[in-house]
Amino acid sequence: MVIAGAAILGGAAPVAAQRVLLVAPIVSLAEHRVDAGFGVERSLGPILGAVGTLRSGPRLSLAVRALGGSLFGSNGVLDRDVGELGVEVSVVTAPWLSLQAGAARRAYATKLGRQAWTTVDLGATARVAFAGGAIRGVWRAALLPVVSVSGLRGPDTAFRGATGLEYRVRATTLGVEYSLERCDFPTAAGVRRLEQLSALTLRLERQLR
Amino acid sequence: MRRLAWVVVLAAGVAPALPAQGSTAELLGQAHELYERLEVERALPLLRQIVSPSWPFEVTREQRVEAYKYLGACLTLAGKRDSAVLYFRAAIERDPFTELDPNLFTPAQLTTFSEAQRRTFAVAARPVEPARVDPRTARVAFTIVATHAALVDVKLSAVGTGPSLSLLQGTMEGVREITWDGLLADRRLAPPGRYALAVAGRSRFTGTSDSARVYFDLRHELAPLEDTLPDLDRSALLPERISPEAARQDVAKGLGVAAAALLIAGAAHGDLGAGERGGAGVLAATAGVTGVAAFLVHRRGGAIPANVAANARRRAARDSANATIRGRNADRLAATVLLVSPAAGEAAGP
Repeated sequence: MVIAGAAILGGAAPVAAQRVLLVAPIVSLAEHRVDAGFGVERSLGPILGAVGTLRSGPRLSLAVRALGGSLFGSNGVLDRDVGELGVEVSVVTAPWLSLQAGAARRAYATKLGRQAWTTVDLGATARVAFAGGAIRGVWRAALLPVVSVSGLRGPDTAFRGATGLEYRVRATTLGVEYSLERCDFPTAAGVRRLEQLSALTLRLERQLR
Repeated sequence: MRRLAWVVVLAAGVAPALPAQGSTAELLGQAHELYERLEVERALPLLRQIVSPSWPFEVTREQRVEAYKYLGACLTLAGKRDSAVLYFRAAIERDPFTELDPNLFTPAQLTTFSEAQRRTFAVAARPVEPARVDPRTARVAFTIVATHAALVDVKLSAVGTGPSLSLLQGTMEGVREITWDGLLADRRLAPPGRYALAVAGRSRFTGTSDSARVYFDLRHELAPLEDTLPDLDRSALLPERISPEAARQDVAKGLGVAAAALLIAGAAHGDLGAGERGGAGVLAATAGVTGVAAFLVHRRGGAIPANVAANARRRAARDSANATIRGRNADRLAATVLLVSPAAGEAAGP
């Protein structure tokens, strides 16, 4: 999900044509933390993926992403693989602000089992250009009103926050972003499950046409 | 036919519908009836009354000219040729367009009238008729006259401004119609305003000169023109150079990103412990360095190529739009129709 936030960076570059296709390979260092009543379990690892963004006009864009990687557990925590497919629509409402709505399907797999997540998120992204326009600061916030996790009740609270920078050189944009996604599940059997995924993501976006 | 001519003459005289003119018209009508019955001796006193300074009623120019003309005609029939010539001349002097219809008057009268024309030199131009003229397909017509052979110069000019345009320069005799294509000497369409048509002539027989002038107003009838787009002011253009203030703000923007990263990493983790703080720290450091570096690079003010290009596109788009508008306006101007109406004098119209 954190990587999903990085995918939104597809809306960073200025629109020069009526319809523009952008592709961006992504590499992230992600950390997954879970507290299911037995202490905090931590796993860390790289995630690779790509985002394709189609801009239709100066305001509307559609992004599709596919990500996957392995998170390695520490102190006896099981290693796990993670994969995600997501789609997101973004509308520019002001030169510095855009609104997003997206959905994603994510899966965690360990040698003991597999857990699937389905999320719907609604958020906003603010971008402020540095002098000269080649660098932009990015701030994001999103709520996840719909989170469905196999084997669990949905979380009471789910949100995502991110911030980063975008460096643009001609048709190429390098983005670096720190993001964090947090889900607080309701107490069940006296245990309150907390889960979060944070990541430092690098993205190299290139305009194809 | 003669009666019809009299009706026209009397109607012209009565047109203002004044009681006094009615008296003149009445007397002129009686004189005409006597003339028609060849009672010339009875008609003459009536006609003389009309042209007499002691005649108490108003006499229009047309009535006076008719009275003089019929005085000449009557005297010709009475065999008083010299007096007839004098009265014909009086008619011609007051209205150089005066003529005798060969179908209504005798050869002797026509000969006498020609003699009067030969001995009287005058040029004139008829008041311009109201007209709507498309200069692409039609012409504005003027009617001028010279009572006998003369070297005539006809010029058109805007009242108070501009050089005159010569419409005719040459020898002519009698009535002649000349046309104008609506263009001035510079071959541009004459602008709206008041114009004067000046006729100057020099007799080929007597060497005497005469001139006349008529005025008319010219207006343009055309579809409304579009305004071109105004110049792009500062609010419509992006800054093309970096200001020192903008450079200083880069530091704040970098620190803003750094602070947000540390806030997310520190505050949001809460009870799950400090996770991936290294990543937040890396981003915070990157953002801080970026802000300071941007300030150092931009503080001396550099060009903003993207903005320069964007402004160039905006200017080009404006120029292109204006060229299109000018093209449409040119088409509308080319379809201008001239509205001509008579005017009284030099003063511009209301």
